[in-house]
Amino acid sequence: MMMQPNPAGRPAPVPGEAPLLSVDNLCVSIRVDDRSVNIVDGVSFSIRRGERVALVGESGSGKSVTARALMRLERRMKATGSIVCDGRDILKLSDGEMRRVRGGTIGMVFQDPMSFLDPLRTIGDQIAETLRIRGVSRRDAERKALHILDELKVERAAERLTAYPHEFSGGMRQRVVLAMALIGDPRLLIADEPTTALDVRVQDQVLALLDEISRSRGLSVLFITHDLGIVAGFADRVMVMYAGSVVEDGDVYSTFAAPRHPYTRGLLDAVPRIDRDSDRLASIRGTPPHVFARPQGCPFHPRCDRAFERCVIERPVLRELGGMRVACHRPEPEAAR
Amino acid sequence: MSRARSYLWFFAKRLGTVVFALWSLGSLVFLMIKVIPGDEAQIAAGPDASPDQVALVRQRLGLDASVIVQYFRFWGRLLHGDLGTSITTFQPVLLDLERTLPSTLELVVVAMLINLSVSIPAGLIAAARRGGRTDGLFRVLAVILGGMPAFWLALMLQYLLAARYRLLPISGQNSYGMEPPRWTGVPTLDAIAAGNMASLLDALTYIVLPAAVLAVLYSTQIFRALRTSLLGVLESDFIMAVRAKGATERRVLIGHAFPNSINPVLTLAGTQLGAMIGAAVLVETVFARRGIGTYMFNAVAQKDMYAVLGSVLFIGAIVCLINLVVDVLQIVVDPRIRAAQFGRS
Repeated sequence: MMMQPNPAGRPAPVPGEAPLLSVDNLCVSIRVDDRSVNIVDGVSFSIRRGERVALVGESGSGKSVTARALMRLERRMKATGSIVCDGRDILKLSDGEMRRVRGGTIGMVFQDPMSFLDPLRTIGDQIAETLRIRGVSRRDAERKALHILDELKVERAAERLTAYPHEFSGGMRQRVVLAMALIGDPRLLIADEPTTALDVRVQDQVLALLDEISRSRGLSVLFITHDLGIVAGFADRVMVMYAGSVVEDGDVYSTFAAPRHPYTRGLLDAVPRIDRDSDRLASIRGTPPHVFARPQGCPFHPRCDRAFERCVIERPVLRELGGMRVACHRPEPEAAR
Repeated sequence: MSRARSYLWFFAKRLGTVVFALWSLGSLVFLMIKVIPGDEAQIAAGPDASPDQVALVRQRLGLDASVIVQYFRFWGRLLHGDLGTSITTFQPVLLDLERTLPSTLELVVVAMLINLSVSIPAGLIAAARRGGRTDGLFRVLAVILGGMPAFWLALMLQYLLAARYRLLPISGQNSYGMEPPRWTGVPTLDAIAAGNMASLLDALTYIVLPAAVLAVLYSTQIFRALRTSLLGVLESDFIMAVRAKGATERRVLIGHAFPNSINPVLTLAGTQLGAMIGAAVLVETVFARRGIGTYMFNAVAQKDMYAVLGSVLFIGAIVCLINLVVDVLQIVVDPRIRAAQFGRS
């Protein structure tokens, strides 16, 4: 995977245009023993039309829960705050209205395509289902499914429609999952680690496909990953999550060149590079806190080299800082390194 | 291998297993005859027979030959459909079974239909409302009904529905004069064959109570198995993916979760069918139905060895057949099993 940020060829932000998605102070909590625990703890961000945003973080940082909360798919959790997508507050929709958003306005691609496909249904059935739910006739839905598979460069697509998931390779399954998300013609595509379960060569293929499709359709993409190489190659903007909140949010180029949050800095330093001399692999000391035992103050302070007294007491809020947003009392200097 | 050939091969293999199972069962039955205490010739000749008469019977039944010879003769008779003669009905056991089995099969099949048509909707509803009031109610009901002795339930229902409120007949298989002309021996089927609606309704009123009683215990088992299976499947990733398409909960449950939960239910229902034939004895006794249960009960009480063993062999054959059907159903439901058996479809 390449590491060079690539800012070229991205749609320029249109000033004054309302964002497609704006999330304000989103908290997602789960009840444990009569206690409510925030897994996602006050996340705010927005995504413009056509923008590709990467959401990065370690396991347990709350990035997947955030993504699923956008579609209200976490049934046992309670979400507060507001999620406005295409002018409507997701959290205020009725169940029926929410169903129209799922697969309609918002499409979702999941991590492990095998476990996210129904083993007993044919591929064609499963791709067409998004449309069948919306009352499209079987024939039209199947024609559209065929069309989508063609668009995703699946060879002999017509035959593939009658095959079952176990008859497909990993990369093919991921295309099927992608087709399932795209057939409803969504405005926003949420991709939850769509390439993690694939080998590197197939990863590249799927990414190139995602890149092409999101560009040609003008799709907004929220791309969840822990692979920084993918972020650099694919996204316009990167948001870094730690212990349930966004700690840094900026365009990919600036963030990769000069991260302002010590955690982001640590993540980038931990990526092995061949163009730099180093005897040992850099890593962030300690481990990320468990959801039920997040520290007071800045959640990152026990692992942070730059922490001082204030970090232990007061939790930093996300604030504007040189065109980026950073939640840190003592950010890295602007021209680091 | 071609598709057709792999299908043939599959059935050949399964038939082979069935034949092996029946051979084992038959041999076991033979061994039981030899091992069970009591002289066969003495039993066949009757308790009051003189030693001379017993000796005569021994010679006539070939019991004076060596065990190996007897074993082969036993199989020879079996393959000719000779299961021996009952000492209580004085008829060939095969003829007795032909008379009693249809009634039992009717009871068991109707009981299975009642079983599934109650337990499957209940399991679906309970899983959909997991942890809710309905779920709790169904689970408590399953424990209570599952722990209720069948004969007691039979007597209570008989008292309430038949004796006290006279909604259903107390016992038997047909009202007097309503019996349809005998063809299959199954009252409801015969009534349908004869095109006699009144007779069919009559037969149904007789079957519903015993079948319901027989179904109760087994439906609580299916309910629990389906609920557990569904809850597991509902947690799986692909269910979330279906929800992400905008599917209604009904579609998620019936279109996706249910087919994926059916496998353990099929297996259980298959074993239940066999067990129900065995359990029919209590219900048939209480409701005075002339089924294989009653026949076996009498045979055991009278030490009617050939009748018992013939019934065991017959029930065994039916269980083998049911297993074959369950295997085929699983292949129909799951394309992965299909692929494992027949290669890529």
